[in-house]
Amino acid sequence: MSNPLLQGKGDECHLLLGNEAIVRGALEAGVHVVTCYPGTPSSEVPDTFRRLGGNGKQYTLQYSVNEKVAMEVACGASLAGAKALVTMKHVGLNVAADPLFTATYTGLPGGLVVLSADDPGFHSSQNEQDNRNYARAASLPCFEPSSAQEAKDMTKEAFRVARELEQPVLLRTTTRVNHMRGAVRFGDLPASRDDLVEFKRNPLRHVPVPAVAKVRHKVLEENMARAQEIAETSPFNVSHVPAAKPKLGVIASGISRSYVLDALEEKGWSDRVCVLELGMTWPLPERLIAGFMGDLERVLVVEENDPLLENGVRAIAQKKGLGVRIEGKGAILTIQGENSTPRLVQALAAFLGEPCEEAVIEPAANLPKRPPNLCAGCSHRAVFYAARKIFGDDAIYSSDIGCYTLGMLPPLKCADFLFCMGSSISAGSGFAMVAKKPVVGFIGDSTFFHSGMTGLANALFNEMDIIVVVLDNGTTAMTGHQPNPGMIQEQLGDVMRHLDIESIVRGIGVTQVRKVSSFNLRAVEKALEEFRDMSGVRVLIAEEPCALYARRSLGKGASRVAEVIAQGEETKKCVDSFACPAFCCQNGEYSVDKTLCTGCGVCLQVAPKSFRLVKRG
Amino acid sequence: MSAQKRLRIYFTGVGGQGSLTATALLARTALYAGVDVVAGEVHGMAQRGGVVESVLLLGGWRSPKLEYGEADIILGFEPLETLRGLPYLRKGGVVFSSSDAMPPVSVALGVESYPSMDEIRERVGAVASQSHFLPCRELGMKAGAVQAGNTVLLAALCASNLLPFGVDVFEKALQIFLPEKIKAANLKALEFGQDYIANA
Repeated sequence: MSNPLLQGKGDECHLLLGNEAIVRGALEAGVHVVTCYPGTPSSEVPDTFRRLGGNGKQYTLQYSVNEKVAMEVACGASLAGAKALVTMKHVGLNVAADPLFTATYTGLPGGLVVLSADDPGFHSSQNEQDNRNYARAASLPCFEPSSAQEAKDMTKEAFRVARELEQPVLLRTTTRVNHMRGAVRFGDLPASRDDLVEFKRNPLRHVPVPAVAKVRHKVLEENMARAQEIAETSPFNVSHVPAAKPKLGVIASGISRSYVLDALEEKGWSDRVCVLELGMTWPLPERLIAGFMGDLERVLVVEENDPLLENGVRAIAQKKGLGVRIEGKGAILTIQGENSTPRLVQALAAFLGEPCEEAVIEPAANLPKRPPNLCAGCSHRAVFYAARKIFGDDAIYSSDIGCYTLGMLPPLKCADFLFCMGSSISAGSGFAMVAKKPVVGFIGDSTFFHSGMTGLANALFNEMDIIVVVLDNGTTAMTGHQPNPGMIQEQLGDVMRHLDIESIVRGIGVTQVRKVSSFNLRAVEKALEEFRDMSGVRVLIAEEPCALYARRSLGKGASRVAEVIAQGEETKKCVDSFACPAFCCQNGEYSVDKTLCTGCGVCLQVAPKSFRLVKRG
Repeated sequence: MSAQKRLRIYFTGVGGQGSLTATALLARTALYAGVDVVAGEVHGMAQRGGVVESVLLLGGWRSPKLEYGEADIILGFEPLETLRGLPYLRKGGVVFSSSDAMPPVSVALGVESYPSMDEIRERVGAVASQSHFLPCRELGMKAGAVQAGNTVLLAALCASNLLPFGVDVFEKALQIFLPEKIKAANLKALEFGQDYIANA
């Protein structure tokens, strides 16, 4: 079936998700190689490339095991002459920073675009770091789209700049842009993708020993000066000056531009301020900004999170000796969270000296909450239940990134701390070094491959103490079932190869290894009991496919479901301590919601006299 | 900026209900009708049985996001979520909601209690100038598929004369954008939604 992203002609107009627009932009640019590690809000970019089915034909797509690897594969491909795109969420760029900071020195002739999908407002992240900082720290030309159309256009332009300068370019999006939908007017697809840049062997450029790197640092500086010239005249940096030429101005970047313009339009203030919209935001177009501020008395700088643009604008004013007063972060425009149209109405009212009644609307009170929860039939719940039964509060639970972080919620309470991908093992073993308590680390299969393996090798190498439970549900569940090396071969097809977790664990040298089905409660408990009385590195691999993945991808529907056969204390205890969302209680009577139950049978093992499995009818 | 009628719609429902698909369908309909459109969604954690919110802004807005008091219309796919989303409605806005409750876990376990439909109607009525509660599940099933219940709600909205396009455009959009095998049920569901508003 033809897909407009892959086949659509120039001038067609389609409604696209921001992430789909990035895919189209990359295709219009003639991307050759795409690498990624999935992470919200970036995941739909590689997932769309996968869905389009162009892999191996129009482009080569790879789900790498982590962001550093994805970055290095993309850097290598780009050095070999390909236009490469690497995608990740903001925290992924921390993992990938090491190669990136030196790739800027060697330069990449093929052209590399790095998508960093930031998450101001913490929609699905552990922090709201502002990755525009990386543009400054690593020297990356940076684009910040605010609409689906710009997401496409800037991706294409980012590739053009990356190839022209031979420098990696940062495409910095935020959740609202990745997950917005808007009309996108297509450009043409390239007639040919036969445009690899031939690699010229040159160790004096590509092997950054100190003497080489020193020279390359100078080249990088020169290239960034060229990038600034591109920014000075970029069509993505535009000013709106009303006919009356007001003495007040707003400079905004990224999605904040939309909030500014909507707020001005809504309040009828569009004629009262000049607006400079910045879409190519690093290096700063100093002359453009200075020219914009030249006749202004006051300027308000609007951006999300850190005051990076604001500080840059202040520096430009100081350097050029401009008397303009610059305002930015403060009580209204804070460094916390996202901007919004009402926040901008408030900020612009203060800036323009207009009254602004702040309408205080309270959230609807006293409503039953609907928090995210581990699904009915989730294999993680069974393992958490067993761990809590064996260790209770005697152990410290070191968690990791995935659905299983939700194990922190009562009654399971199986997460005491967490830093980042893979930290369950390394931080857990560090904790155990000091604490006089057993530490149980939980890590998923994809996270194990991402950065659990190195922590495991380190724990073993240093004779550390930790019980590692690999919650192997056979997929990258949290982000939408992307492939990882633990996935079964049938799901991976013939372009990826299954790797066996147990062989890796044993291959690293761990001898205290058990492998069980997550749904075999007695077996999980027995393994944890044995491990409790041992020391050193102990690894329990608990296997059972993610319930959603089993149903959607493996075609495993539940032929049987649980039902309650006896009310009473034991049933209540199971409901309270196992807390499966399929349990119901009406007027003191317990039952199982058959539409939710997957027939995992764990409740029967917790309370054999209370439940039984029956054919789904 | 365009001189189009500017409208902001807030969608809310429960993970798995299809409210994001419904948002995208209405957005495509708007684009088909030549109306400037931007939509916004939040994915991720919400899929695990949580609340799913999305927004649709028509007529030339740039921001893919709504705050409290900004929505002209709420489209609620579950009544408790309609009530939770109510602060997003501006005073005098309009509410279209499913009346089919999906109790959250805490309610299923008897820890918290679900508000009565009377209470929901009353609290919605205190803010909205009009509200419509439709038995979407029942009408969807009657049309041939429970998921078509979402089309009942969308059709009711399109038939209300609040949008810059009518239910006829929505019908054309269903013909163009839906896969063949679900078309009949959705066209039937459209009739039910339209009839509901005609008789309201």
